[in-house]
This record gives sequence, C-alpha cells and structure tokens, in this order.
Amino acid sequence: MADTIPLLGFGWNDLLFLVFAAIMVVTALAVVLQRDIIRAGGAMIICFAALAGLYVIAGSPVIAAAQVLVYIGAISVLVLFAIMLTQVKSAPRALVFQTQAVPAAVATVVLALLIGVTVVATDWPKQVATQVAAAKDMAVTLFNDYTLPFEVVSVLLLAAVVGGVFLAKRERAEAE
Amino acid sequence: MNASDITAMSPFVAAILVAAGVILVDLAWPGRRTAALLVTFAGLAIVAALTVAVGQAGTTAFNGSYRVDSLTTFLDLLFISISALTAAFAPDYLGERKLPVAEFNAVLLFAMSGAMLIAGSADLIVLFLGLELMVLPGYLLAGFHKTDGFSTEGAIKYFLLGSFSSAIFLFGIAFVFGMTGSTRIDAVSSNLAQVVAGTAPFSPALGLGLAFLMTGVAFKIAAVPFHYWTPDAYQGSPTPVTGYLSVGPKVGAFAVIIRLFAGALLPMAAQWNIMIMVLAALTMTLGNLVALTQDNVKRMLAYSSIAHTGYMLVGFAAFAAGQIQGLEGLLYYGAAYAFMNLGAFAVIAALQRRTGVSSNLATFAGLVKREPALAWLMTLFLLSLTGIPPTAGFFGKFYVILAAVQAGQTNQWMNVLAVLTVLNAAAAAFYYLRVVVYMFMRDPDAEVSVAAHGRLVWTGLTVTTVMTIVLGFFPGLLLDMVSTAAKAIG
Repeated sequence: MADTIPLLGFGWNDLLFLVFAAIMVVTALAVVLQRDIIRAGGAMIICFAALAGLYVIAGSPVIAAAQVLVYIGAISVLVLFAIMLTQVKSAPRALVFQTQAVPAAVATVVLALLIGVTVVATDWPKQVATQVAAAKDMAVTLFNDYTLPFEVVSVLLLAAVVGGVFLAKRERAEAE
Repeated sequence: MNASDITAMSPFVAAILVAAGVILVDLAWPGRRTAALLVTFAGLAIVAALTVAVGQAGTTAFNGSYRVDSLTTFLDLLFISISALTAAFAPDYLGERKLPVAEFNAVLLFAMSGAMLIAGSADLIVLFLGLELMVLPGYLLAGFHKTDGFSTEGAIKYFLLGSFSSAIFLFGIAFVFGMTGSTRIDAVSSNLAQVVAGTAPFSPALGLGLAFLMTGVAFKIAAVPFHYWTPDAYQGSPTPVTGYLSVGPKVGAFAVIIRLFAGALLPMAAQWNIMIMVLAALTMTLGNLVALTQDNVKRMLAYSSIAHTGYMLVGFAAFAAGQIQGLEGLLYYGAAYAFMNLGAFAVIAALQRRTGVSSNLATFAGLVKREPALAWLMTLFLLSLTGIPPTAGFFGKFYVILAAVQAGQTNQWMNVLAVLTVLNAAAAAFYYLRVVVYMFMRDPDAEVSVAAHGRLVWTGLTVTTVMTIVLGFFPGLLLDMVSTAAKAIG
C-alpha cells in the first residue's frame, strides 16, 4: 500500500483523522440539536467512540481503551438510565430558553474564525513519528509526575457525591 | 511519594479528613448540630495549626507539583478564617429553615480544601483540579435551600456558567501545555521567558491559550463583562452562603490568578497586562454604577463585590507593571475585604434569621432602634467597604492605589487607573451610606419583632469587627505577612 493516498497526497492517518473528526462534529451537533433525548444520548455514544479512534491514531491505545470502557461502557449507560428513570414526557418541541440566537451565532462565528485563523497561522511542532505509548510508560508518568492530580480527582468525586446526594435526597417534610 | 510529601501536604489532607469526619459524626449522631459544629471548629483549628507548622518552608512536594511557601501559608490561613467565619454565621440561618448543618459544613470544608490546593499548586493540572474542588461545592452551597426556587435558580445559573468557564480555562491550559511542552509552572515560565527573549518562536496558538485562560479566570472572579451570573447567584443563595461566595471563591480565584499569571505566565506580563487593566477599569466602574440603582441590599452587595474585584485587579495590574507593592496591596485587600464583607453579610443573615424577612432596604429602616448593636456593626462594615479611615478597607484601597501610582511612573495608563479607582471609591460611598441612612433616619413601615441571635453569630461578628478595626489602626501587623508572602513569588 502506498504511503500516501493517491491523488489527494494525504497520509492514511490524516484521512482517518478527518473521518473521525467529521463524525465527532456531526454527532456532537446532533447531541445539542436533537429534540429527542434518547437519540441525543445515542449520538453522544458515537461521538465518544470516534474520540476513542482519535486516541488510537495519536498512539495511545491505553487511553482509547479507557475511553471505551469508561465513557461508552459506564457513563453512557448511566446517562441513558438517568433519562429512563426521570423522563416522564417528551422534551418540548421548541427551545424554551433560547431568546438570544442572533448574538450567540455572531459570537460563535467570531470564535470559530479566531480558532481557524490560529490553527492556520500557528507553526505547530512537528510530530517526529507516531509513537505508541506503552502502558508501563504511562503508569510511570501517572504515578510519578502526576500522583497528586490523580489522588485529588478522588477527593473531587467524593465532594461531588456528598453534595449530589444531599441535593437529590428527598426531605421527610417534603414527602408528607 | 514519601513522608516529606505527606508532611508538606498535611494541611490539605487534614482539611479533607475534617470534612469526612463531619459526615461520619453526623452519621453516628444524625442531626446533632453541636457535634457537627464541634468537629468543624476543632478540625479547622488543627488545620490552621498544621498550616503554620509546615508553612513558610519554600519546599516542593510530589515531584514539584505542589509547593509550600509563605504565599501558600498566607492564603491557606485566609481561607481557613473565611470558612470558620462562614461556619459560625450559618447555623442560626440554616436551623430556622430546617436545613442540615453537618452537610453544609462538610461541603464548605471541601471547598476550602480546593482553595488550599490552589494556593500551593505548582502544576497547571493541580491548579485546575483545585479550582474545580473549590467551585463545585460552591454550586451546591448556592442551591442549598433546595425548596426555595430562587436558591435553585441561582445555583443553576452559577453551575452552568461556572462549568463553561472551567471548560474554557481548561482549553487554555491545553494550548499552553501544547506550545510549551509542560504543565509544571516553573517549566512553563522558563519556556515563555525564551519566547519573550526571542530564542523560541511566539505562536498565535499561545496567544489564544492566554486569551482563554484570561476569560476563564475573569468568569471566576466575576470581572466585567464576565459577571452576569453574579447578581442572581448571590441574591438567590442563602445569605450566609452569599457572604461566603462573595469572599471565598473570589479570593480563591485571585489565588489562581497569582499562581498562574504571576507564576507561570509572568514573562509575558507586558502582553497580558493590557487585558488586566481594561478588565479592572470596566469591572470597578460598571460594578459601582449598577450597585447605585439597587434596592435589595444583597443584590447591591453583589454588584459592590464586582467593584471590589476591580480594585483588586488594579493591584494586580500594578504588580504586572513591575511593582511588587501591587501584589502586597492585592493580598492586603483580599484579607481586609474578606473580614468586612463577611461581617456585612453576617448582619443581613442575622436580620433574616426569621424566615420571610427580605433583604430589601426597607428591612433596614429604623434598625438602630430595634437592634442597635447590629446597626452599629453594619455601619462599621459599610464604612470599611467604602474605604473610610481608619478601617481595614481604607488601607486596602490605599495600598492598591499607591502601587498603581508608583507603576504609573513607567506606564502612564496606570495613573489613569489610579484616578479611576479614587473616583469609583467616592461614588461607592453613596450606595453604602444609603443603607446607613435607612438604619438611622428612617422609621419602619410596620412593627418588626426582634430575633435573638446565637452565641456563634456574636463570636463571628466580634472577630470580623476586631479584624476590621485592628487592620485599620495597625496595618503593619498584616503588612509584614503580605510582604513576605509577595516575596515568595516576586
């Protein structure tokens, strides 16, 4: 197989990247715009899967595996369960709170242009070669340089759980 | 990880253990306020003692991702004071509304641990996690009165905008990491120094990263034009929480600014200081102008807190222009503001002890006849917020303006900023003193019964009063601390 795609001059990795990136953008838009919340959840799962593909291209199979396990395996299921248990009627057809579509569109276009110009104008550091990060190297980095953030995340989750349980808990007085 | 790492981190670890301890005690003796309060205050005392014991060392821990220096110690002690005062003011208000004290204190302590992590972070990821650990409990506290629609509304607005701004901030960190190749604050700083010296190229992506970081922190400190969440979140929250939100997360976000901009991004100060100066000018002017038109005292103090953000930014701009006094002024202002603002909110919370009392100006009519002690204390805090000598607030403004004038010798725009600060401080007197006029010269529309206030509230008010007066008469006591703290970074 040729190193680059005939006619286009892209590397195969570049083509794969474009495919995954396009899937991510389309599905991410679907999550926001879709009025049916179950379908939005489904689009979110596809978006997560495409991101896992990007991690593989970037040479991090471990992160890709974690992405599949945690996001697609656990979080998506959790979100779908939450929808199932709380949703009593279908979502409103029209956007309820949306009253500033025009300013938001202007801001979005300006920001998109700004990011676009930046991406084109920046002389990005060249990738030497795609290195596959071994699980061992990752573990060494994670538990040497980044031990503290790793541990603090658990504190953050604990604080979120305590607060979440308090907010979700039904008071006795309320139930009466 | 070894023993010295744990020693350096011990105040942070202790804070988390105290938070967990409060929950466990509440599990063993459900709903017993005294037990939860005892654990909270004893725990805070231990955390403070540990902070002093390991403080000032200038050591790093966990492979350089956390550092303990005099700035960490100063900020940690300030956060502990803020949390202790909030925990003292809250129980009366919460008890009357049948809200649990133990959960409140546990969540508050988690927020404090996040702020402490920010104060000592030497790594951008630790900084971000500390920020999240500080603001996430803040959302919960804002919505703590969950049967009250306004509390929930304010919390949702705070949560949504807070999440967006965190994402923007994280995006900025990603850009800076991508262009400098490290998340360690030291490494980022030395890499940027090369960029400024011209040995490494400046890229637009780095500029975009700077812009995102600035936007993210501007949201967190509620600088204009990123302040829209503030009035609703502050007015809707339970009053003791409003007091905490206007002080704790604000000083914490300034700690982020100091660690990030004065630490990692200092070599590019000339590039970002323009943004800080514009933010400062807009923030204090707009905050004051809108505060002038408010009839609700909580909402008025929300806008006034925006104005105070502007004054503190003036101090930071002076620091970025090369005056270390600017950073000293900012830290002094932060401490003075914490005590006087918490005191003012404590008086409102005490008046609102009975449910159904609004925080409108009318509540304050004739207060001096009903509750003279509270009226006089409120007057003191408002005078200090205005900046009348000899109060803590006066010296806060004095140091900030002085630093701005000194920086004006090299950058004439700093002079403009100093003049603007003085004009704003004068304009602010109108809306602060309006409350005083209501308290002393107006008669209430209807007979209002007087509520009794708990011992904790009086203790807390005594502390805030003493600090407001002592920092006004003897500013040197704190000035030594802030100048040592500022040297850790300058």
